[in-house]
Amino acid sequence: MTSKLYEILSQVFDIDISLINDQSSPETIENWDSFHGLALIDALEMEFNIQFSISEITDVKTVADIKKHLKNHSIEI
Amino acid sequence: MLEEKLSYFINESKKLKESDFEKVSRIAVIGSFTLNGLAETLQVKCAKSNIFSHIFSGGYNRYNEEILNSNSDLYSFNPEICFLILDTRTILEDLFYSTYDVTENDRRIFVNKKFEEISNLIKFYTNKSKSKIIFSNFVPPTYSSYGIFESKIEYGLQEMIHDLNQKLSNEFKNDPLTFLYNFNGFVTNHGLNTVFDYRQYYLGDVKISLEKIPYLANELMGYVKPILGINKKCIVLDLDNTLWGGIIGEDGFNGIKLGHNDPIGKSFIEFQKHLLSLHKRGIILAVNSKNNYEDAMKVIKEHPNMILREENFACLKINWNDKSRNLREISQEVNIGLDSIVFFDDDKVNRDFIISVLPEVLTVEMPKDPSQYVPTLLELTDFNVLKITEEDKSRGKMYREQRKRTELEKSTNDFDEYLKQLNIKLFIKNADEFTIPRISQLTLKTNQFNLTTKRYQEEDIRNFSQDDKKIIGCARVEDKFGDNGITGVFIVDKNNKEWIIDTFLLSCRIIGRGIEQGIINYIISLAKKENVSKLTANFIPTKKNQPAESFLPSFGFKKLNDQWVYQIENHIDSTTSHLHISKEE
Repeated sequence: MTSKLYEILSQVFDIDISLINDQSSPETIENWDSFHGLALIDALEMEFNIQFSISEITDVKTVADIKKHLKNHSIEI
Repeated sequence: MLEEKLSYFINESKKLKESDFEKVSRIAVIGSFTLNGLAETLQVKCAKSNIFSHIFSGGYNRYNEEILNSNSDLYSFNPEICFLILDTRTILEDLFYSTYDVTENDRRIFVNKKFEEISNLIKFYTNKSKSKIIFSNFVPPTYSSYGIFESKIEYGLQEMIHDLNQKLSNEFKNDPLTFLYNFNGFVTNHGLNTVFDYRQYYLGDVKISLEKIPYLANELMGYVKPILGINKKCIVLDLDNTLWGGIIGEDGFNGIKLGHNDPIGKSFIEFQKHLLSLHKRGIILAVNSKNNYEDAMKVIKEHPNMILREENFACLKINWNDKSRNLREISQEVNIGLDSIVFFDDDKVNRDFIISVLPEVLTVEMPKDPSQYVPTLLELTDFNVLKITEEDKSRGKMYREQRKRTELEKSTNDFDEYLKQLNIKLFIKNADEFTIPRISQLTLKTNQFNLTTKRYQEEDIRNFSQDDKKIIGCARVEDKFGDNGITGVFIVDKNNKEWIIDTFLLSCRIIGRGIEQGIINYIISLAKKENVSKLTANFIPTKKNQPAESFLPSFGFKKLNDQWVYQIENHIDSTTSHLHISKEE
């Protein structure tokens, strides 16, 4: 699933997949602004058929946080 | 139709380069909330129609300033099309939550005030800019603090919004620059709970969820296409498993599914009924099917449940030929470009073949399930027109007559003799209130026989018609098989001793019958009366208007530098003896 997640991150932020790691964040990814953040949530929810809560969304600071919340929704990473 | 994710459009939009496109357009999107991603989606969708679009996205809830300040970025952007998307929350302000804090009378005053604000804003914009504006109507809230008692309240929350929508709709009904977009219909289709996502609203003031932005863009393209003149004119249909269930060659006349007592048969009947209603308002229908001609025609002529009949089709290609060859022939016989054609075929192999050899045809990705044919057809935004004219409504009849002309042509060996037998009458009329909509429509959609392909809106034509330095005329063509309606337009700039043809176009179905010569002869006869010495034509080449240029030398125009010039003193009118030309007042 990590590969699927990275694939989506790479698509949404329009960056090479090799540049993504657990520490990737709005500081390290240029396109990661609030709008692209929403676009990412939208893409993840459509892909995994889940719905994040607003606190999960606001809690996300890094890619590792996304993995943590995907696990909460029983998405195996 | 399932749309791609918004992030797909955002990424695709970055790859677009203006230099790869022939046509460019300018579209503005302004609104009362965040519409991020809509610009990119529109760009990608325009690119799919071979148009590069520059998109202006208005600042967050700055639509009032953008419109009312004549020096705003909106006006310097100079759009051809402006979308104004407003939402109920913003417009209602606190009344959205506490509607009944004020009296019924105050609620009425409030709605009137909002109506005035919005309509003044729109009128200000259309006066100031040359662009069309499309503004959304409001979604009536489904929630009321009064609950089920809401319906007992005089001028309650829902009534307020319905009233505002109705007032706006009435106000602009006859304004050709302004269109009311049924955003409420969009929300009804998709469901308020999927269009409005509270999380996205709290996180970013997003009032149309990102998931639905591509669907919204698709609906807005329904305006972009006719305004830019890239709408489709003809639907070409396969027969087996497209217009009826089963295969006529195998299942037989009584075996195919086309009946009211059968759920699958009903799908096809319903599909045909929607096709017929499009046909009645001007969309041309044709058949492209691999079948024995007699078997298929027996169904079309005799099957009791067939909705579409022989007379509804401008062309029937039922044979064992390659389907791309049939499509090419349909395009020639009906006289429309391949890029004006939409092709429906249930067979994916056929579709993929057409997509690869005739990419300009819009081949619809048909679902396997016939019950989904109707929604697939209804989602297409390609048949929209800004105005439905009388010509549109009688187009089906005209193409039927055209089929008879082709038959006469085939049975007559001598072309001049054929023209004589047609007994063509050419009526020339100046632009007036009755002909202006049709004149504009022809400039917007005629591609082949069109010297300059200048696109003019109704307002442009109306302004020209006030100008005594211009002649704006149109031609109606009649023959023994029927009336073709207004099918030719010319606009001439009177520049002292030199008249310049600004626009000269003919609808493709009347080309090649001497009408073009007849019209130029008529212009020359006017020019002679004013002692004009030469008639000049500019030709602006496009991918499609070659037929218009080759006409010029055949008439006797000579190329001088970049212009085509005709010396009027040398003129002898000898080419149009088969025509009866008259001026209609």
